[in-house]
Formats: sequence, C-alpha cells, structure tokens
Amino acid sequence: MAAPRDGEFAALQSLLKAPSKDAVRQLCQECFSSPPAGLGPLALRACPGLAIGPEEAEQLVSALHNLTRHVVYRGLTRAEDILSLFPENFHQNLKNLLTKIILENISAWKSEAQASQISLPRLVDMDWRVDIKTSSDSISRMAVPTCLLQLKIQEDVALCENNPVVSALTVELSKETLDTMLEGLGRIRDQLSVVANK
Amino acid sequence: MGLLNFTRDPVPEAVSADMHNLNQLSAQQFSALTEVLFRFLTEPKEVERFLTQLSDFATMNKISLGPLKNIVKSILLVPNGALKRNLSPEQVRADFIALGLSEEKASYFAEQWKVNSPTLTRLAVGQTLMINQLVDMEWKFGVTAGSSELEKVGSIFLQLKLVIKKGSQTENVYMELTLPQFYSFLHEMERVKTSLESFS
Repeated sequence: MAAPRDGEFAALQSLLKAPSKDAVRQLCQECFSSPPAGLGPLALRACPGLAIGPEEAEQLVSALHNLTRHVVYRGLTRAEDILSLFPENFHQNLKNLLTKIILENISAWKSEAQASQISLPRLVDMDWRVDIKTSSDSISRMAVPTCLLQLKIQEDVALCENNPVVSALTVELSKETLDTMLEGLGRIRDQLSVVANK
Repeated sequence: MGLLNFTRDPVPEAVSADMHNLNQLSAQQFSALTEVLFRFLTEPKEVERFLTQLSDFATMNKISLGPLKNIVKSILLVPNGALKRNLSPEQVRADFIALGLSEEKASYFAEQWKVNSPTLTRLAVGQTLMINQLVDMEWKFGVTAGSSELEKVGSIFLQLKLVIKKGSQTENVYMELTLPQFYSFLHEMERVKTSLESFS
C-alpha cells in the first residue's frame, strides 16, 4: 500500500467538519475495514454527518482508507513515524487526533488484516466420534474400533466476503491410519519446537 | 448330509465327488495342496502364483488340472463360509466330515485353519466398508513473510493435504491451520487414539 499523496491529505481536512471526535474515530474504523469496493457506499453514508457533497466524501473516504491501510502495511507503531507521514502544513490538531486514533486501533487492524489474508481453505472446526464395527458382509462378528472425523473447512475468506462457505468433510480412520497420522503430527510438533527455540 | 455350519444354502452336487477324490490323495499330497490353498487365502491378490502352484501340483502328482481346479473350488467353499461366520476349527472339521472328507484330512485342515485364522480374519476386516477412508496425509509448514496488507508478517502456517478414498477414486483436500489450531488438532487426535486403544 503506497504512501498517501498530498492531494489525499488535503481531502482529509474535510474531517474538520465532523461533529465530534468519536465520529472521526468511527469513520476511520469503517474506512480501514471496508474493501475498496465498499468505499463508494460508505462515502454516501458519510455525507450527511459531515455536511459535505458526495464527491468530497468520496475523496475523504478514499484518503482515510489509504492512510490507515498504509500505516498497517508498514507496521508503524510509533507516533513520530505516523506524524511524519503528514505534510508540513497539515492542520495540527487534526493530525494529532488522527495519529491518536490510528495508534489506538493499530493492533486490532493488524489482526484483522492477518485474519483476512489469502490462504488455502481454513480448518474452522473438527469433531470426532469412535464407532465399534460389530458386523459386515465379509465377517459376521467382529469388534473393530474406527474413528470418524468431521472437519469443517471454510473457503478463502477474501473470495466469500460476507458469506463464507463452510463445507463439512467426514473422514474415516482405522487405528493404523490414526497411528501413522499421529506420527506425522508429532514430527510437525517437533519441528515447530525447533523453529520456536531458534 | 446334516446341517452345515459354513453355509445355509444347499451344497452343489459335485462336492461329494470332489471330497471322495480328495480322500484318494496321500497325507503328504493333501498337506502340500492345503499349503497352496492357504497361501492363496492369506494373499488373495496373488492369483497368478496360485494358478501356477496348482498347475505344478497337478503335474507332480499326475492329476489333470481341470478336475483339480474343481476339487479346489469345492474345498474353498468351506473356509470362505467359515470366515464369514466366525467358525471355530472344530466346526470347520465337522463340516468337512459332513461333506465326506476323511477324519484324518478334516482334522489336518482344521488345524491349518486354526493357525491361519488370525491372518484371514484381519484380511476380512480389512475388506469391510469404510466411508471416505483417509489414505494419505501430506503436510508442510512455513512462515508467511508478507502480504499485500502487511509488509512484514512472520506468522507460522501449516498446510495439510488429505488424500481421501471416495469409492474407487481418490480426492485431495487441502487446508490450512494456524498454530493454535494445530495443537488443538493434535490434542484431539491423541484423545481419539486413547479411545480407540481402550476398545481394542
């Protein structure tokens, strides 16, 4: 996410018309969380509160979105770093307010960005049950334990926006398969602890 | 013929004649034939080898292969039924005697049955229906270095590929887990293992 341009900072000055600091705070949060496609509607919603026209609102919302996303992208955590982004002649109080709001939200925003990053389908839940097979067409009496594992997998969040598709997959494992799987998982755990201890 | 243990259906006519022919074999010949049979039963995929061994047996003992195959078909009826019904060696012996096999040969066969039944039972259990059987698991884990939203990330991800047998085809399922999810998954799987072990 590139650094905001001077023109964008100019657009930010529209915030001076905001009714309260909380309104600014609210708008910052909404602008960060909104995907680029949602900025249009957001701008229209912001118009009445700020008493500005739709064009001005659009520029403001876009600038705020870019600014907040840029800070999160760069991972800036110190006030000085954020303050230095603003041009020299920017309104002092507004600059301090925006910096304060950004600092308040930065860790929540960082988690949000990480949670919505692209990935393979994610495991969201797992359930299991152990059955005992007592009979089958190949052998009339037996007592074989088997495990049924249900994995709930959610498709890539970015593709689904507000309606994540969760599919359930039920898998059957014999004891031998489970043992082999646990061996593999154990090896992963060992390697993870090697990496963690480095 | 009294009630048989290994089947409820009527036995084909030819079986009595086949048992009579079997009785003509010497103890040594019967023992060799039994060995060939059990080797096939414990490794049912080795059809070629079985047929070769039968043909060798036929040549060595001057028996024609055709009749020998019929005899073998008749004999195999008993162990196949016995496996399905979890018969004991005594029941197998009793069935062979009821079919017309000599006591000596029936006892010998029942003895071999006893020795081989753990392997055969395991095979039968292995053929039992499994839904979406997990056949393979591949994994990799790494570190996410950066993304379009965050220049530096440094979080660990784990990716699993599960190979699932659906009917006669296999399907690959890919998924990603976070570290806490992985530990909780591992923990749950260990609980499953304990549960399975307590029922074994």
